[in-house]
This record gives sequence, structure tokens and C-alpha cells, in this order.
Amino acid sequence: MSRLRNPWGRPRFLPLVTALYVAWSILPVGIAILFAFNNGRSRTTWQGFSLRWFTGDPNSSVLHDPALQSALTHTLILGVLCVAVATPLGVALALGLQRWRGRGSGTVNVLMLLPLVTPEIVMGVALLLLFLQIFGGLGLGTTAQAIGQVTFALSYVVVIVRGRLVSIGRQYEEAAADLGAPAFDRLVRVLLPLLAPAILASAAVVFALSIDDFVITQYLSSDAGTTTVSMLLYASARGAPTPALNALATIALVITLATLALAFVVYRRFAGASAVEAVAGVEM
Amino acid sequence: MEGEVRLESLVKRFGGVVAVDGIDVHMPPGEFFTLVGPSGCGKTTTLRMIAGFERPTSGHILLDGVDVAQTPPHRRNVNTVFQSYALFPHLNVADNVAFGLKYKRVTRDERRRRVSEMLSLVRLAGFEGRKPDQLSGGQQQRVALARALILRPRVLLPDEPLGALDARLRKDLQVELKGLQSEVGVTFVFVTHDQEEALTMSDRIAVMNEGRVEQAGPPQAVYEEPATVFVADFLGVSNLIAAEAAGADGAGCMLRVGERMLRADQGATDALGEVKAMIRPERVRVEPHGSEGANRLPGMVEHAVFLGSFRELHVRIVGGGVVKAIAPNDGTPLPYAQGAPVTLHLPQEALRVLAPSP
Repeated sequence: MSRLRNPWGRPRFLPLVTALYVAWSILPVGIAILFAFNNGRSRTTWQGFSLRWFTGDPNSSVLHDPALQSALTHTLILGVLCVAVATPLGVALALGLQRWRGRGSGTVNVLMLLPLVTPEIVMGVALLLLFLQIFGGLGLGTTAQAIGQVTFALSYVVVIVRGRLVSIGRQYEEAAADLGAPAFDRLVRVLLPLLAPAILASAAVVFALSIDDFVITQYLSSDAGTTTVSMLLYASARGAPTPALNALATIALVITLATLALAFVVYRRFAGASAVEAVAGVEM
Repeated sequence: MEGEVRLESLVKRFGGVVAVDGIDVHMPPGEFFTLVGPSGCGKTTTLRMIAGFERPTSGHILLDGVDVAQTPPHRRNVNTVFQSYALFPHLNVADNVAFGLKYKRVTRDERRRRVSEMLSLVRLAGFEGRKPDQLSGGQQQRVALARALILRPRVLLPDEPLGALDARLRKDLQVELKGLQSEVGVTFVFVTHDQEEALTMSDRIAVMNEGRVEQAGPPQAVYEEPATVFVADFLGVSNLIAAEAAGADGAGCMLRVGERMLRADQGATDALGEVKAMIRPERVRVEPHGSEGANRLPGMVEHAVFLGSFRELHVRIVGGGVVKAIAPNDGTPLPYAQGAPVTLHLPQEALRVLAPSP
């Protein structure tokens, strides 16, 4: 008779698989970050720690190379633009869709989720054609890139804010109406403060999406001034890359992670852990 | 005096479902009026129509003579106390209570005075800075009450305000709420599914079932003189005995139950054919087997139940029904054991004829 395992004992196999998976997914990123701090020009041979590719090198560090600097600035500008447009628009759309029970609301609900499931390259090509053929006057460049990013980032805002709207329910708005508040006051005095954590969280997600985006941003770019970090990384990967690129990628990564961490903390602080689980899809 | 509510042939349909099916109710100013009924009977929908959250399909809601059926909720001088309280979680107690004063054109000093006056009325002085999630259920309930009453509404609409509280607290708050109502003198239209709550608190009640008012009146009258089988069954405990009405006999009605004839003086004494004979358990008298006289039925004790201050006998009568008899616990041992044959005396003045529900 085989010895029965203690059914209350901790599982041993699952943690091992999890640890291997985590290590495997972090490894490439870890190596890329490590070489951002390399003292030599090599991206494969470790030559000691330095900050030369961030600030030290007078010509090719992120701080001094105009191409890298411009890419970083443009990425941040696009991110801010995207947040400034997609967040209020997405909140309005979420409110509208949540309250709208009329004919066609189901269709719009499905359409809203399309950008989430459409392959990005399809979106990119479609948007390129749109800007070349129909909105030719607008042309390619920063405006087109911002509009393109807003187009798919909007869905994320709607999904996050609607989730919160569902959990809030109608009772607070009804209570406000009952106490005499007209529609505008119900929105400003009650609904928006209650939605604040979801709005902040979605703004952060939009910012992170914008910084990370490559396909759409690439398709809708025009000259060198509209090159973003991700585009630059892609373009110079086959040239003569220096660890300055790793430094640039590291900066972009840190900004993304910091933004998402901030969103996570804010949302958990104000909306409760269960809401975070619903949005982040993780178990706390 | 203000605060009169009159509902006239009020109907609400949701798609094909009729939630409120033409009700007419009059609530005079200052009355504690309760809508009571099982879940789905339309009582909350009725309340939400008075508050303005639902638009009536047809009919009128007269508030002091003015039809407000088409007025949006924020322009109605009535306030709701929600079952879940719906306190704004991002505002503290004082800001919650002061929320509606913004639309009442009061000065800052006046607002501060009224908030503190209101909070001391509901015994929450000193809690101004707390957030709703730092309060107990009973305290939240009192904040919700203060938030509504501070606007001096003509009518207050509490929607099962005690439903979320435990039994003990509920009893205390019933008394407190009733006291508060007579103190401020505002009309209450109170919704509950708890028949005991309805009976203890109200000046008048309306028992609702399937979107209609089955019966309205003072609690004692509705309890003592239920007009329908539903009301008899819903309010308190009733014995409903299947019987055949054999026609009026003077002021009473002769009923055939199995082989026996009973005389009932109450209810629809002019009924004929199949009816229900109704009697409250506290009016049934249990006598030794073989005792003679009118209005007596033989039976057998099926269960003897000890209820603390009361004891209850379940007696199976000929014809199959079970009649419950309840008597105060006087400290003596139960005279009838399980299985013992007994005779039930159903006094004619306590026996009521009810036409069966259609």
C-alpha cells in the first residue's frame, strides 16, 4: 500500500512550476536592464557597473543623444495627450452605455470591445488608410498617433469605469435625486467622487498602453520627430546598438510600472480589494 | 396641515409584468401608514412611484391635492429612507446629513444649526466627522433618517429601513422610529414585509398582494376582521378550515364541516357554497373528549409544542385539517398528550366566514 500524502500539506509541484515560469518571464527583461548599466559598449559581455548610458556618456547617453532624448519626450507627450483625451471620453462613454437601455445599446456594447480583440496590426493598417484617404488633411504625425492610440485605449477606460459603475449601482444617484440634487449635481457631487479610483486607474492604464504601443504609433508616424521609444528600439535593434538603448527601454519600463503600481495602490485604497481583483484579474 | 397622499388607480407595468395593479389609497397628514405584503406584492414599487423613481403607467399621485405623478424625484417634497441606507461613502456624517440643504437656500449658520439639531434628535451628536463605514448598522440607519428629515419633507418614505438590522436592534428602533414620527409629525409611508412590524408601528396598514391592496385599515381592525383568506393568512397565525356555507341563520351563517354544523357570526355570513372558516389560535378552546354543546368539533392531538410563554396544540379534526390552539403557559403540566382525543370549541363570535380567493 502506498503511503498516503497529507492532503492538508502544502503542494510542492505547483510552487515549482510557478517559480520556473516567473524566472523565465523575468529573465530577458532582467538581462536587458542589467546591460543598461554596463560599463562597456557591449550588450552581451558584462564589463562592470556604470551609469554611463543614462547620463555619463557625453554623446550617446540617453541624457545627451538628441535622438534618444526626442524619442523619450515624444513618448511622454503622446502618453499625456492620450490620457487627456481618452479618460474623459471613456468615462462619458461608460456612463452613457451603462444608462442607455434603448435600441442599439447591445450593438454598441459589442463594438466597444472590438478594439480589445482586433489584432493591432489590423487596426494600424486600417487607421493608416483612414488618415491617408479620408482625413488626408490631417496627415500623419503626432495628432494621428494620438487619435490612433485613443481609439483603442478608450475601450480599456470604458471597461474599467463600467465595472465600477455596476458595483456602485443606482442607489447613490437615487438618494441624491431624492435629496433634491438635479442631474448635473448627481454627477459631480456623487457619481464622479465614487468613480474617482476607477478613473485614476484607467488613466494610468491608458498612459502605460500609450508608452508601450508600437504598431499603431509606428503606422501613423511621419518624420523623425514622431519617433517614440518603442519605434526607436525596433529601428536600431539591427543597427549598431549601444547599451543606451537598454537604458532607454529601462526608463520606459520603470515609467510604465510606476504608473501601473500607482493605479493599483490608488484603486485598492479607495475601491476595496475585491474591485481590484475584478479589474486586474489577480487574487489578492 | 401638510402631508396628505392620495393614490388614485395607480398602475405600474414593467414590460408585460404588472407590478402595481390599480391601487387607491388615502393617507391623511401626519399618519404612520404602512404598506405590508410578501416580496413581489408591489409595495416597494408603490413607494418608488411616490418618491418619483418610477413613473406610473397610469393613475395619479396627489400630494396635498397636487398631482406629482410626472414630477421628477428632485422636485418632490418627499424623502426616502433606503433599505440599504445609501449613505454617500465619500462624505462624513455631517456632510451626508447636510447634502440636501444645498437645494433649500439656507445660510451657512442655519445649515450648521439644523445639522447639529438633527443629529441630536437621532442621538448621533459627536459623530459629525465619521465616515459611514465607521458606523454600526443602527447608526447608519439613523443618519439616513436624519438626512431625509432635515429637509422637513411633507412625507417620509422608509423602505424596509429596519430590514438589515438584527432582531434585537430592530425591536428597539421600531419604538424609536414610532416615537420620532409622532414627535416630528410628518406623514410616514412605511414599507415592510414584516407583519409584526406593521402591526406594532402603524396608525393604519394596507395589506398588499399581487399588486393590489387586499385590505386597508387600523392594524387591530385588519387583524381582527380580515376580509380575505390572504389577509387572514398573512397577518398573524390563522386556522383556515374548509367548510360549506349552508346559508344565513339570523345574523350568523351555518357551516358544514364534515358531519358537524358550526355557526359563525363574523365575516361574509351571507356566503353560500365552498368557504373557509377562519379562527385565530388564541380563540380556540380545547376541551376534554366528549364535551357537548354547539360549535364543537372532535379531534386528536397531533403535536403539543412548548413555546416558552405560550404552548400550542396541533389538533387534527375530522375531514383532515389541523387546527392550532394556543394558550398561555400557566405553569401547570399540559393536560393533553400527543394522541389524546379532545373536543375543540370554536366560539361562534370568533368564527369568521371568508369567501375563497378567486
